[in-house]
Formats: sequence, C-alpha cells, structure tokens
Amino acid sequence: MTRLLGTADDRLPLARVDGRLIETIHQAGLVGRGGAGFSTAIKWRAVAERSRRNAVIVVNGAEGEPRSQKDRLLMATRPHLILDGAFIAARVLKARRIVLYIGEAHESARQAMLRALGQRDEPERGLVSFAAAPARYVAGAEMAAIHFLNEGIATPTTTAPYPFERGVDGAPTLVQNVETLARVALIARGTPADTALLTLAGAVRQPGVVEVPFGTTLGEAVRLGGGATEAPRGVLVGGYFGSWMEPGEAWPAALGQLRLGCGVIGVLPASRCPVCETAGIMRYLASESSAQCGPCFFGLRALADASSHIAERGSSADDLRRLQRWATDVRGRGACKHPDGAVMFLASALTVFANEFAQHEAHDAREVRRSA
Amino acid sequence: MSDSLLWYTTRGAGAVTLILLSAVVVLGILSTLRVQSQSWPRFLTTGLHRNLALMTLVFLALHIFTAVVDPFTNLGWGAALIPFTSYYRTFWLGLGVISFELLLAIVATSLIRGFLGHRAWRAIHWLTYAAWPVGVLHGAGTGTDTWSAWMLAITAGCVAAVGVAIVLRLTGGSTDPLATPRTTFRAAVDRREPQ
Repeated sequence: MTRLLGTADDRLPLARVDGRLIETIHQAGLVGRGGAGFSTAIKWRAVAERSRRNAVIVVNGAEGEPRSQKDRLLMATRPHLILDGAFIAARVLKARRIVLYIGEAHESARQAMLRALGQRDEPERGLVSFAAAPARYVAGAEMAAIHFLNEGIATPTTTAPYPFERGVDGAPTLVQNVETLARVALIARGTPADTALLTLAGAVRQPGVVEVPFGTTLGEAVRLGGGATEAPRGVLVGGYFGSWMEPGEAWPAALGQLRLGCGVIGVLPASRCPVCETAGIMRYLASESSAQCGPCFFGLRALADASSHIAERGSSADDLRRLQRWATDVRGRGACKHPDGAVMFLASALTVFANEFAQHEAHDAREVRRSA
Repeated sequence: MSDSLLWYTTRGAGAVTLILLSAVVVLGILSTLRVQSQSWPRFLTTGLHRNLALMTLVFLALHIFTAVVDPFTNLGWGAALIPFTSYYRTFWLGLGVISFELLLAIVATSLIRGFLGHRAWRAIHWLTYAAWPVGVLHGAGTGTDTWSAWMLAITAGCVAAVGVAIVLRLTGGSTDPLATPRTTFRAAVDRREPQ
C-alpha cells in the first residue's frame, strides 16, 4: 500500500513519461476524485488527441464541498506530489500552461503549494500560475473553473464545448482534482495508487481525513475515525451530491464498490432527524444555484420548500407527491449538472428515509435551520 | 386522376405547412416572452412548439415529394434540393428550397442541441427569422392558389399572427425572472479587477 498521507513529501526526479502513461492510468482504473468519478484515462486521451502543444492543465483544489477536508490537507502536506502529477500531465498532454486553482479560503494549502513551487526548477516553474477559486459550491465544477479563468466569473457554463475541445483561452484543457493528480504521480513512479482519501463527518468520534485501501469496508473506514458516536440512522456517501445509505448496507460495503464522489462520508446519528437534515441540505443546494436556468433556480427552491414544509409542519401526502414528481422533472434539464446532483441526493433520501418522510411530525423550525 | 391528386396534395400540403410553420414561430416567440396562465402552463408552449415543428417538416416533406414525383411538373430532385436550378419558376421555387433547407438545419441542430452547445444552437435558431419570410414569399410568388380568397385569408392571418408576435417580442423587453438572482450570484463569484 502506498500512502498519500503520513509520507514525507520528498521531491524525487520526475519519472520519464510519454503517451504510454495514459494506458497505464487506464489499467490502474483511476477515476477522478473531485466528485464526478470520471475515468482519468478517457479524459487525458481526449486532451492528448487535440493538444497542439497548447493544452492547459487546471489543478483543481477549489474544494467547495462543505464537509470535505481531504483536498486542502493533501495540498498542505503533499504539494510536491501534486505538482509532480501536474508536470507529468503537462508532459504527456504537451501543455504550455498549468493553473493551480485553489479555494480562496484554503490559505495554508495555498502557502504550501507556493513554497513547493518555489523549490522547483525552471522551465517547469515558469509554466505555473495561481488562481483563487471563490468559496462557493459551484466554483469547483470543471466548467466554472474554466469560465473563471477565462472571464473571472466562477459560474458553470453549458457543455458543449467540452473542456477538452475549448477550455482555458480556447485551448484543450484538463481540469483535474488534486488527489487525482497525486495518484497519477504515484502511478508514474510505478507504485500502485490503491487507497482513497475520505473525509469522515457527522457523528464520528474523530471527524477528519483518513486514508484507506479500496478493499476496506466503509465500517472499517469509520472505525479508523474512532467509530460512530452513537447508533447511526443513515450514512451519506459522497457528500451533498452523493447518496444516503442504510447503515446496515453501508458498513459491509467495500470502498471499491461504492460511488465515493468527493470522498465525504457523513454519519447521521439516530438522534438527529433525517427529514430535517435533508431539508437543510436541499436548502443549501438551492441557495448555491447560480440562477442561470429555471429548472435549477425554481426547481431546487421548490424542492427545498416542499422538504422544509414536511420538516416544519409535518408530513403531507401532497408535499411528498410534489417532491417525487419534481425530483424527476428537474433531472437532466439544467444548464449544468448542479440540479442533477441535488435531485440525486434527494432521491436517495426519499428512498432510505421513506418511513420518516411519510410519518414526520411537525418540528421546531429552528432545528431545520440548525442542521443546514 | 392520380396525377391531379398529387398536384392537389402539393398545394394542400404547402398551405398546411405555412399554417403550421407560422404557429411554430408564434409559439417560439411566446416561449421567449414566458407567456403563461392558469390553464396554459409554459411547458405547453415549448412542447407544442417542438411537436408542431416536427409536424411541419412532415407536411413540408409531403409538399416537396408530391411536387417532385408529379409527372406534370417534371421538376427532378436536383431542383428540389439545389436553390435556383429549377427550369420552372426558377426564382420563386428557389426561395422555397432555401426556406426548406434553413428549416432542416434549425430542426436538426435542435435535435442535437446537447452536443452543439447553447450558443451555436441559438445562433442557428435565429435563422427562423429568415426561413419563415422566405417561405411566405415562396408561397405568395408561386402558389397556384395565392389569389383565391381562402388562401389570401390564410396568408394574411399567418403574417398578422407572426407580425404581432414579433412586435410583442420587440416591445416586451426582458421578462427574465432570473435576472436579479443571477446578477446577485454572479457578483458573489466575480473576481474581475474593477475597471
């Protein structure tokens, strides 16, 4: 097992790499760790095919997911490994520019990356520039990063054109999460990248980042964080764009079989109300809509309203019917994927917490707000 | 008998195409104006717009097919597909071909909008404002029934409906209900240097 965390961030000579690395990445089965879980090799191939020595690599350390910590921790502790991944990407994809897109609130992460870059040699150092990602949920989305670097506004735009077709400055662009790039650097060194970084959140004794092999079960991973503080009612796998799972189903599942998304594992204790928790997160996701299209702005607001109605006034057949119907109506109709992520989250809540949603009694409105 | 059947079909399908296309244009404009009421939700406007547009193509195909295979016209497929190559009413028929091909491009790009991107799709969709008048001119110029009272009424009705819709569109201003929240959100994630 090759660990990302707890290992010295030594600066090793860059592995000699060429286009064949993409095949190695493919065989390693590496997928993006920013949330979407898309195949890294496919993404690289698309950029490689179009790059005329003009590609741009965007190192995505925006980490706007509220409970996630792993990207800023990795940037703070393994900046050289991330830079290695970025320089390798630049060589393989024949890039002329690398942008470190780091969340504006992640100060120590940015400092560490700056320091590591200062220890690098020309000409590689000259490829790199910094950009501070606005601290909003959508700012970490691939298209938002490109829009920001082109025009200074971090709202997602519609695809197409895709980043590999026309990204930063109109050039073929790779936007890749920092953890994914660190994995690439390990793969290029010939070491397997068989662990995942998770952020444990909620009712866990020691919330925070853990690193675990893919063969580990979710239950074992949570035990690394001291275990749950009390009997859990649900486990949110993959952050706010992830899915709720029954604890009994989640604990024995191996990480490799789950859609880990951005790696946030949220443990909801039995003492907290799942309906109020879901309503709070839906309100948050609705408030993070960039108001570019109706399905997102009005759709998510309507879904947040209907879930808060159930949370505050108690369950009603009408609200439940609306939730079910609108959740299906909104899907696939947004200008970007923000509404899709939100309704997938909601759909899992309506399944896992079906009983609670059907039998919910009126709660104090304060609790709904507090859980958000 | 079958020859005159083809000829009547050509003329009938042409008239139906004009009515349908005008309805599609009006519905398209109404959807940008976000027209709605209790009994007419907005998805009805866009749904009708799309379905009638597809139906328009069906009647247009019928119009062209029957005109070409009619042994009396002897047009040939070339004249139906390449503008201004028809020996028969070269100019007026050419307008019809242009209008048809523009509509084909508009429908085809709408069907693959997801691959094309919004901006390119919209740019091509604007060609409707060329396709529709060119089609109307084609009908008025070469239509066998142009000066019969019923066809005059249809043409006048279509022109009036689209005309009114365009005037509403030009004078309506922005009714975008997202304008304010969008500006607010963009301001929050805008890091451009102040000019």
